[in-house]
Amino acid sequence: MSDTTTAPDLVAPSDQPSGKTGPTLPERPLMELLDVSKEFQVRSDGKPAKLSAVNRVSLRVMEGQTLGIVGESGCGKSTLARVIVGLHPATSGEMLFDNQQIPTRGRRPREVVEQMQMVFQDPSSALNPRATIGESIAFPLQVQKKSKKEIAARVKQVIADVGLPANYADNYPHQLSGGQRQRVNIARALALQPKLVVLDEAVSALDKSIQAQVLNLLTDLQQEYGLTYVFISHDLNVVEYISDEVAVMYLGQVMERASADQLYEKPLHPYTQLLLSSIPSLDPAESTRDTPLEQNEGEIPSPINPPSGCRFRTRCPHAMAICAREVPRLADQGDDHVVACHLYPGSSSEDAEAA
Amino acid sequence: MSQAVIPVLLPQGFGSEVSSAERQAAAEQRDAWNAVDQSVETQSFWVGTGKRFLRNKTGVVAAAIVLLLAAASVLAPVLTPYDPLLGEPTDRLQNLGSSGHLLGTDEQGRDMLARVLYGGRLSLAAGFIPTVGAAIIGTVIGVTSGMLRGVVGTVLMRFMDMLYAFPAILLAIAVGSSLGPGLSNTIIAVTIVFIPPVARVAEQATRRVVVQEFIEAAHLSGASRWRIARTQILPNVLNDIIVYASGLVGVAMIIAASLSFLGLGSPPPAPEWGYMLNSLRGSLNTTPLVTIVPGFFIFLTSVAFNMASDALREAMDSRL
Repeated sequence: MSDTTTAPDLVAPSDQPSGKTGPTLPERPLMELLDVSKEFQVRSDGKPAKLSAVNRVSLRVMEGQTLGIVGESGCGKSTLARVIVGLHPATSGEMLFDNQQIPTRGRRPREVVEQMQMVFQDPSSALNPRATIGESIAFPLQVQKKSKKEIAARVKQVIADVGLPANYADNYPHQLSGGQRQRVNIARALALQPKLVVLDEAVSALDKSIQAQVLNLLTDLQQEYGLTYVFISHDLNVVEYISDEVAVMYLGQVMERASADQLYEKPLHPYTQLLLSSIPSLDPAESTRDTPLEQNEGEIPSPINPPSGCRFRTRCPHAMAICAREVPRLADQGDDHVVACHLYPGSSSEDAEAA
Repeated sequence: MSQAVIPVLLPQGFGSEVSSAERQAAAEQRDAWNAVDQSVETQSFWVGTGKRFLRNKTGVVAAAIVLLLAAASVLAPVLTPYDPLLGEPTDRLQNLGSSGHLLGTDEQGRDMLARVLYGGRLSLAAGFIPTVGAAIIGTVIGVTSGMLRGVVGTVLMRFMDMLYAFPAILLAIAVGSSLGPGLSNTIIAVTIVFIPPVARVAEQATRRVVVQEFIEAAHLSGASRWRIARTQILPNVLNDIIVYASGLVGVAMIIAASLSFLGLGSPPPAPEWGYMLNSLRGSLNTTPLVTIVPGFFIFLTSVAFNMASDALREAMDSRL
């Protein structure tokens, strides 16, 4: 894939707010990942080893939509987020942004940098304690050499956009609460008017009522500015609420991808089923206390030496002989519901040959 | 488990009597209130630090002593009529409080007060300049290796550790004696002694800061490493360095005095406190009180500096 289409995208971003309004969305992928992998060089027992944090992930995010990524801690969600925005170079694979190939390692062109921003997990460490809120928000604008007037106007605008009082611009992060700080993080990410915002556990550190406020703010901003989100979280409820499409990750691989409704209604992959059944219910009659993990040897295997074949087989209640032999392929089960599991047709090489 | 009873927090029909116009008005009112939050007052970090420092009595007294000594040595020509270099051989070794000589005279009949005041210029310079120099150079080295890690960082820090392995005074003597006597060489020697510990403090602080998410956010906005070092890291490590370096001023004065005592500092007859201590050694039996005067000033200045720096650290710490 060496075509470097440099034709500038002259089409103005669509004006109609493209939220979750229905099936007639303009189906145009804003960001595509093709077989993206990320390995880290680590030491295991004193020997150099490769930690496979993200393994051959292919995903696409439709413009104006939200792609949710769920998975247990340590499944490579945050690494994937950092690979997408370019904080980590990818080991292999390709990325397309706005129909243009972008470098997976090294410095990215300025247009791309401006178009992609990230909201971080920890509201207290994501802001420079020595800078006022206004300075923190202005920093990316200064780096991109905007004029002073433009910066002042933009800072004022985004502070209002995220619903903070204007005079907070002169305050320091430690004077704000966690929820307010997360609003500032969002404001900073929006300052450059990006198209894509990667939210890495953006609400996980907040308590439930503040989570709801911030999630509502995020959906409002999405509608207002036509933003595209990659929303990463371990919280299944939150992901269901905000996402159009959801990808389930396990040990660095995508196990299943479907529209949010489909995935939560009809989970196909055993891992997804396991995840969904472990959501605690508020209704005591539906207590799930004992069901999900009982037959499963709880711990997630090490990404330094992942299981052969299907990475989930060591915990899977449906494990078969083929699961150790062959890596299941992502196969479409209809309605763009894609799953990588040998329980379903199209997952093995034999199936592919037969077809 | 029995059926949980979910408490009803609001009575049935709560708020139903409020018309939509009233709701609208209330919402606007709330927005107006919320547009400005008066409860959070803005105060710059340094203003806050200053206020807290002034509340600390010990720190204020110590800082006052330091300032007083500095002012006195600058204003020495006004404060004393005597020449620090010219003595009256007939007035040798006068005791404290003798007529015209508040602090007595030394073995050549020179007025001790004049010598202490003029000497303060040399001693304070020997305390300040190396500290400031080492703070700047050490910060550059420490922040660089803390940010780069890898080979560059390791080589830099191991070299610093090598220097650090020598006892401070031995290293200072080695450097001082190879450069030869003189105030400027003393300053260079003490600077070299202080670079490794400052670099280490700066490196530790940098490592702590560099892993935080706001540094990643800065990378994400396309900022260069140099810009990140300058705008994001430096303001966050400066505290640690200022606090550490302010404690070094007293030590620097003692090392400089020791070098002078050994004949490696300012050449005689310059009135450096360490050299004065050395040359008066022989008169310890005749006029013990006069002999300890320079020592007392070395002690006073270094203790005052250390207490002021402790107070400064406390004032900076209690921020969060």
